[in-house]
Amino acid sequence: MSLALILVKRGVTLLGVLFAVLILVVITLGATGFSDRVLDSIVSEDLRGIRQNLSQTIRDPDQLQNVLETRRITLERYYGLDQRWYTRLPDMVRRVIMLDLGEARTLRSFEGSAKVSDLIMERLPYTILLITTASLITAMIGLPLGILLATRVGSKLDRGISYASAISYAVPAWWAGIILILLFVYEFRQFTGFLIFPLPEGIYSTPPPEGGLDRFLDMLWHAALPVLTLVIVSVGAWTYVVRTLVLNTAQEFFVTVARAKGIPERMVMRNYILRVAAPPIATNLVFGITASLGGAILTETVFNWPGMGRLTFEAINQADETVIIGLTFMFTLIYVITRFLLEILYLILDPRIRYK
Amino acid sequence: MNSKESLMILLSSGSGKMGVVFFLALAFISITVLVLLPLDFGSQQWNNPTKWADNPKSVPPVWMQPFAGSDAIQHMKFHTSEPVKRTSEEAIYNFSYDYHSSTPPTFISFATSDIHFLKHPPVLIVEVHRPDGKKLRLLQTVVRGARSGEPLPITRYGEVPLRILLSENQSTLDLASDFLREEFSVDHTTEQLRGNLEELVFGTPTIHDPSKYTPLNGQYRFEIRALLRDHQDRIGQVNLVVGGNHYGIIGTDAIGRDLALGLLFGFPVAMIIGLSTALFSTTIGTFLGILSGYMSGKTDTLIQRFADIWSNIPLLPILIFLIFILGQKLWLVVLILILFGWPGLTITVRSMVLQIRTGQLVEATRSLGASGNRIMFRHILFQISPFVFAQMIFFIPTAILAEAGLSFLGLGDPSIPTWGQILESSFRTGAVFLGYWWWVLPPGLLIVMTAMTFVLLTLGLEPVINPRLRSAKK
Repeated sequence: MSLALILVKRGVTLLGVLFAVLILVVITLGATGFSDRVLDSIVSEDLRGIRQNLSQTIRDPDQLQNVLETRRITLERYYGLDQRWYTRLPDMVRRVIMLDLGEARTLRSFEGSAKVSDLIMERLPYTILLITTASLITAMIGLPLGILLATRVGSKLDRGISYASAISYAVPAWWAGIILILLFVYEFRQFTGFLIFPLPEGIYSTPPPEGGLDRFLDMLWHAALPVLTLVIVSVGAWTYVVRTLVLNTAQEFFVTVARAKGIPERMVMRNYILRVAAPPIATNLVFGITASLGGAILTETVFNWPGMGRLTFEAINQADETVIIGLTFMFTLIYVITRFLLEILYLILDPRIRYK
Repeated sequence: MNSKESLMILLSSGSGKMGVVFFLALAFISITVLVLLPLDFGSQQWNNPTKWADNPKSVPPVWMQPFAGSDAIQHMKFHTSEPVKRTSEEAIYNFSYDYHSSTPPTFISFATSDIHFLKHPPVLIVEVHRPDGKKLRLLQTVVRGARSGEPLPITRYGEVPLRILLSENQSTLDLASDFLREEFSVDHTTEQLRGNLEELVFGTPTIHDPSKYTPLNGQYRFEIRALLRDHQDRIGQVNLVVGGNHYGIIGTDAIGRDLALGLLFGFPVAMIIGLSTALFSTTIGTFLGILSGYMSGKTDTLIQRFADIWSNIPLLPILIFLIFILGQKLWLVVLILILFGWPGLTITVRSMVLQIRTGQLVEATRSLGASGNRIMFRHILFQISPFVFAQMIFFIPTAILAEAGLSFLGLGDPSIPTWGQILESSFRTGAVFLGYWWWVLPPGLLIVMTAMTFVLLTLGLEPVINPRLRSAKK
């Protein structure tokens, strides 16, 4: 099987995921009558614009009302509101994909726009920034530490990390975040009188500092604790997975043979063990992505980090359904894209697939 | 391997032992709670603010009292239906309260219910006799009389008691203002008194700054008099609360709810969420996995493609969406968790079945004439059952954590309190930022402990599934 074909196959599955979520979303919306409401709000939004334009030329209120009424009927026909909901499914799918969902009810973007797409797109970079930074740091700690533990199986450190990874599975990231805030922000300030980490007020202090560098440093300072939270809750499990997979490979015969041949231990580890253990490590970490996505939604909420997770929390509070619809799609999209990138990484790591 | 041996292996490891002990504790608490608390606890009690009106708001647990030193205030709830004295004109109730603290009580409230009268409505008077011999009238009120045409005799406040929060009651403040003028020659308008009635009742104004009060420690006697015209007239219940600043074994939240009760109710709820989700999704996952692995061909491809896609749907976003659109119901949460929980297991079970299928056991049973169903759900299922069981236990914390996360976002079922919801209300009301640790730590710790129990059990079960680990241990 050629490389391209494998990638296409995985890509099709992931597109299937996206499609399944879209279908699930639009059918739920249609069957519960939510899609009618979304379209209704789009229609009345259009009508408001038309009314403003027309009221300058048509003075008679009755006549204006008549014109608006006919326009309303045309618009409803255009959006398919006169038909059953399932006939509108393809159109609704298109709307969700394009984030063309009209205006949010109460939520506004930082620039004041009410468009759902504006709202979500403006939050997207912050979420990606948070997840990427946290994942990279976790990987940078977890990989070397896992390899180190595999060479020291049964040591105190090894057992300690094993327990830590078991515990971290049971600790929700958001609660860990709350505890860290309680300890390192409020209690710390209580006892020492100054802030080592900022108050959970978003990405910048209020008021934000002037100047590019200061602003950047301020953002780093605000990102520190959320990133730390995500790293703390996932680094144990990461390390444990790496350690176990490396250990499994290290027990294979070809490793023993390599050692018997007198190949230096460093080379055995790098060329014999890690080369073989890398693909399964990558696979296992792929599955961690879902967890970190869910964790990020809640962690953003706790830290007031203005990403898509915090937006989810705000949309739930304001009962802003169109925003929730858009977010559901965007989260799936992020997930699917991340998965695909990791599939490519996997192909690079595992030569068996390439040479088959 | 039979189940007895499995249990022995489970109990031989430290984590297995701990897991079993924790699990038994969880099960015991859950069952006890289900027996003791009503099933509609959530809607009838937890979310009913009148139930908690007598409790102090946002206060730490009682066992923190010694650490508060002289700031600690005893919370006292007086309650009686029998007057100490009943003359032809009045019924008298007496409560005494020992006040030893440097801070005033948090509130004073008075409540009464089941008032019967023949014709003339009773007059209720609440007075406090202070240790300095002064007497302060806190309340004088007339029960609502008969409307024209209302049949006599009359019962008032039968279902909903008459509750007066004296600390905020206008006529009480007027009376207190008079008291200050007469006894201490201090002039304070009722508006100035609002918010510090307790300081005045339990203290004396300082000489140089009359807006400040020095606490007056000692024995206080609250006297409640009901002036009754007819000898058949009577007062059912009399209730007086002096609000302290410590309550219960966990403390209270912002509307005075006893957190211990809410947390207790969370036990069975968490267990039910975890167990039912795990049971059903493992059943579906195993069934489809065996089917897919054994049948091969089109069935296999169909199930596997579907499971591939389904297992990749990110859980929390879709859970948020569905619960938001379909409604905040706990059974719905469980259902969705089941529907999205099975595919991972199906994929693993299938790969195991593929190995077993080509083994000698299956070949032998098939040559004996066993049907496909029998092979699949007796012989193959039996072989993979330890693995399936461990997977089921491992799925329990996932479900509990997912529900907690969802509740934390504000999508919990409002009629059933869960630990996640208690955390949500603490976060929403800013308890985290005010340092109300008793409202933040316990629910989170319980979530972690419960999830941990099942993680420990899974760890302990590992040697049961993987025999290599068993021999390696020795």
